[in-house]
Amino acid sequence: MESQSPKDITDYYKHLSLFWTDIIHLMASKPQALTSMGPMRAFASNSKKISTELIQINENLMEFNKFVTEYYKQLSETWSEAQKKVNVKAPDVPHDVEQMESFKRIWIDIFDNDFTELFDSEKFGENYGKLVSKELELTKHWNNISNVILQSVNLPSKEEIDEVYKEIHSLKKRVTKLEIELKKKKETKNEGSVKNEK
Amino acid sequence: MKSESKFDPKLIEELIKFGKNIIDAPKLVSAPDEISLEVTPHDIVQEIDKTRLLHYRPLTEKQHKTPLLISYALINRYHILDIQPEKSWVRNLLSQGFDVYMLDWGSPTSMDKYLDFDDYVNGYLDSSVEFIKDETSTEKISLQGYCTGATIATAYTTLHPESVKNYIATAPVIDGWRDTTVISNLAKHMDVDKMVEIIGNMPPEFMYYCFSVLKPFEQGIEKYVNFFKNIENKKFVDNFLRVEKWLGDTPPIPGALFRQWIKDIYQDNLLIQNKMYVGGSHIDLKKIDMPIFTQVAVGDHLVSPECSMPLHYAVGSEDKTLKMYPTGHVGMIASSLSQNKVLPELGKWLAERS
Repeated sequence: MESQSPKDITDYYKHLSLFWTDIIHLMASKPQALTSMGPMRAFASNSKKISTELIQINENLMEFNKFVTEYYKQLSETWSEAQKKVNVKAPDVPHDVEQMESFKRIWIDIFDNDFTELFDSEKFGENYGKLVSKELELTKHWNNISNVILQSVNLPSKEEIDEVYKEIHSLKKRVTKLEIELKKKKETKNEGSVKNEK
Repeated sequence: MKSESKFDPKLIEELIKFGKNIIDAPKLVSAPDEISLEVTPHDIVQEIDKTRLLHYRPLTEKQHKTPLLISYALINRYHILDIQPEKSWVRNLLSQGFDVYMLDWGSPTSMDKYLDFDDYVNGYLDSSVEFIKDETSTEKISLQGYCTGATIATAYTTLHPESVKNYIATAPVIDGWRDTTVISNLAKHMDVDKMVEIIGNMPPEFMYYCFSVLKPFEQGIEKYVNFFKNIENKKFVDNFLRVEKWLGDTPPIPGALFRQWIKDIYQDNLLIQNKMYVGGSHIDLKKIDMPIFTQVAVGDHLVSPECSMPLHYAVGSEDKTLKMYPTGHVGMIASSLSQNKVLPELGKWLAERS
């Protein structure tokens, strides 16, 4: 038996799941139409979209976990390196107020320096960028699922609301432009009438 | 057998006192929500969408002829420039006889996600400048930009040099590739298109994350230890809570504006290369030919000096001044140093040209 990569296995299960979701959806569409009515009809007919999104969420979660693990690995490695440096620089337990103050100063300075070096590094920036990107993809799937629910109760989806926002923004720009042109015309007209009076 | 404690009793005393301070804190100190950040009296003279133009009431009988408009940053609110009477940037300028206006960008909502650089530069900022010119019957004003507000003000000054008599750039975000801060590292690796497409505006939570990675132990632990240690020091506590409240109130940034800011400044670095466009117009820094005063903080961990200073060398002005101060991003505008050194120097420079 050939060894399969994790990606092949994921693709196999994704295909398997989609296949059965599609088949069940097709097989069930007639009885579903018969039994669903009113607002719930839209939800029933869009339910396939929810299963597709859930499958993709699962895929994204695997990627997300990879980057989140790396994120915490980088933090914990930096922590233990910084702690080692503190142990070398301040090996004794502080016994009085002065010693405690200087120990605290050493601890904070070393930890701040080491963590700033990490946050400034290419490896941190790259991993953090990918982590946020995966988080955004998860949010997108959640948005898509919410849209299915919104449509089932005849409410506008995020995309439809965005269209309205875009239209308002463009209209506002046009109105401002017209107002400026009108103001300029008025000023020119006023200047003209002042000249005529003279 | 006699047992001896190795610890100095004073240390134990300090720890007990610290614990007592934590317990007593709610009895001694107001909750941040109960504190008002409005300090110097002002009038709201113009409102467009969510933006407000504030006009501060004068503190001197005579005032310099040229009014000053401050374009505050897009991160947090304008209150830091007027955080408390003895550290107020605005109040200091008023007492030096300047006529001060401030542009408050407000708090954008999802509806504002399509607002872009053009809206901010040629819309809100230009409308404020035009309003002040009409109101004060002057042809030109002095303009000050702080942090990201200076990026907007810089773009404005190149496009409308006829309206700006003097330009003051305070910790301006200009050369993204030279910026050595953690913020620029995160910005360079950000998929900003995806963020804007999926979320819309830049959420405040992202900004709070950025704050948390700046000196995390000094800012996340030491600062609060000092707060509880000094809980009986009214002046210290008042200042601490005001700054904390200001830090915890950052509005979202409109998606389209945020996208262009991250791409053009941090990722492609177009502004300093004179390759940036706003509303279809070319931003050429050489067009800044009026007197310019650039203020940079050596210890700035939000906008590094290397990111701000190139503006001084890129502009076309002959009358230009670059000042560096031994402080940080906030220290430059709201500290004893700003009151005793930064503002007197700025006031002198501006008075000679106003």
